Amino acid sequence: MPIKILSVDDSRTIRLIVGRTLRPFDCVLIEAGNGEEGLAAAAREKPDLILLDVTMPVMDGVTMLTQLRETPELKATPVIMLTAESGRENVLHIARLGVRDYLVKPFKEEQLLEKIGKVVSLVKKETAALPAAA
Amino acid sequence: MSIQTSAINVQKFLGEHVQSVFETMLSMKAVPVSINLSPHYPERVTGSVGLGGENVTGAIYLHMTAAFARLAASSLLGLPPEELTNESEINDVIGELTNMVAGGFKSHLNDHDLPCAISTPAIIRGTAYEIEPPQGVQRESVLFNCANECITVEVHLRIN
Repeated sequence: MPIKILSVDDSRTIRLIVGRTLRPFDCVLIEAGNGEEGLAAAAREKPDLILLDVTMPVMDGVTMLTQLRETPELKATPVIMLTAESGRENVLHIARLGVRDYLVKPFKEEQLLEKIGKVVSLVKKETAALPAAA
Repeated sequence: MSIQTSAINVQKFLGEHVQSVFETMLSMKAVPVSINLSPHYPERVTGSVGLGGENVTGAIYLHMTAAFARLAASSLLGLPPEELTNESEINDVIGELTNMVAGGFKSHLNDHDLPCAISTPAIIRGTAYEIEPPQGVQRESVLFNCANECITVEVHLRIN
């Protein structure tokens, strides 16, 4: 079963960067444009990891995370927050919300991959396609 | 609250932070330039993000030519400029760059005991417009040279 990763960000640019970063790996990327869509996608798809933006219209990342943690079947889903704010207060606030990790924008694709790799086991597509050894 | 915008050192912070954002996301060098002229943008794209807190309000604007906006989007999305036919793709990239600049500035304000929230980005496009701050709002601008184009980062700030 490929890893399922849900990217919740109102910026298509960030979702595209996430998709490009994960393209070589055997995983399914699900996208949502705000927290409300993100919660619906999480309930439907049961992702192995959620990459969550903070500032979004309709429902922001903090509200989505709070509701996620109140939903029994989703509360254990690991979350990596993507935030444009690097300040100490913001980082502490995010840590208190119970996220697995966070990444401050701007970021390099290698940094994103490193954070994701600490939470889920990414397997390259070529490796995944090889037949199992006898 | 007696903090003045001079204490926040907007020029120095933005001079460094914008370079970092452009280098990381676009692999482009944005070099601060010190001239007292307002650059002329024949076709302008402006990304804007609002800032609002108990003791501080304002906005950040990133002004650039439409040609540079296309170049930046091309670099970030990894597509040739001629393949970027959809203006909304370019707008999204410029909005995200503005969001990153504003997010860093928000953290900088927070470090000066001026906590605030930032809005989602908006884009303005046109040929001849000026953004005038209301009375009592201080305006500071930092100019950058990037790929032989002029980028202006403008901050409007009112500190109570």
